[in-house]
Amino acid sequence: MKLQKTILLFASIASALIFSGCASTGGGSYVNSQGPDTLVAGNQITITDFYIASDEMVNSMVSSGALDRAPKQPAIMAISRVINDTREQFDTDQLVKKIRVALNQTGKVMTTTTVGFGGNAEDKLAESAAAKEAYLSGKTYSPSSKVDFTLSGKIIQPPKVKVGSDRQNSYIFQLTLTQVGSGLAVWEDEKTITKQYKKSSIGW
Amino acid sequence: MPQALKNSVDLARVTTDPSLKRKVYVVGMNESYVSGNMLKVQAELQNKTNSYQEFYYAFDWFDVDGMLVSSPTGGWRPSGIQARELKAITAVAPTPKTVDFRLKLKE
Repeated sequence: MKLQKTILLFASIASALIFSGCASTGGGSYVNSQGPDTLVAGNQITITDFYIASDEMVNSMVSSGALDRAPKQPAIMAISRVINDTREQFDTDQLVKKIRVALNQTGKVMTTTTVGFGGNAEDKLAESAAAKEAYLSGKTYSPSSKVDFTLSGKIIQPPKVKVGSDRQNSYIFQLTLTQVGSGLAVWEDEKTITKQYKKSSIGW
Repeated sequence: MPQALKNSVDLARVTTDPSLKRKVYVVGMNESYVSGNMLKVQAELQNKTNSYQEFYYAFDWFDVDGMLVSSPTGGWRPSGIQARELKAITAVAPTPKTVDFRLKLKE
């Protein structure tokens, strides 16, 4: 009986230590979000993936010379649909905003916030102020007529590859820059990020 | 037969951590301009070992006054190089005002 109590006591202490260990959050620490110390998760998209994809897309777009063929500099770009077609939930602005900021820095492109996909302006206040100004000056309000390019795209996640306990997960970033006047895709690119990881030995 | 003309760059612009330096190093660098005024840099790396090597790299960009130019998409990038492989990494400066750069490599 005494032995059983002792075993029970040890089991209780052990389980308490295990579960308190799992629940521990620690003090936390700051890391550079663009640095090598960010956590790598093979089974999900991370902020590093968006940094890599946006950097490669901007480099590709600038190197292509497509932006130089705009009728005016800087060219005006509107953001069209960028679809998240993966099995994960995230905001595609994690990609698009970085690209917008980077293109703006080049001085070759500026993004309009009063023209958006489906007539939904990103900045409703700016849109209504511009419409009011056009009305008062007797002009027709047509912000889309100023747009030189639209940016559209999709993020795809192919089925995961499983070999034994090894897993492979990919994200395909596809972007297209369309010249509004001609309707032609003047620049397109596709970047794939692939990560491998081991399946957790703990089954839950 | 046309041949590429490389505008070679001084390798003093490269910093590598001592651990990686023994395995992977920069064999050449060249630069050019894209889109008229945007500095583009290419570094050619070689893996001197017989095994795959993972590494990180980052480009720092500087303006004419030597001030760091931040980039919204910059930062450290993970990469890898096969045994004995030659591999090129490229980057485009974030602004037309960028005139110089530094390449950082770490394991």
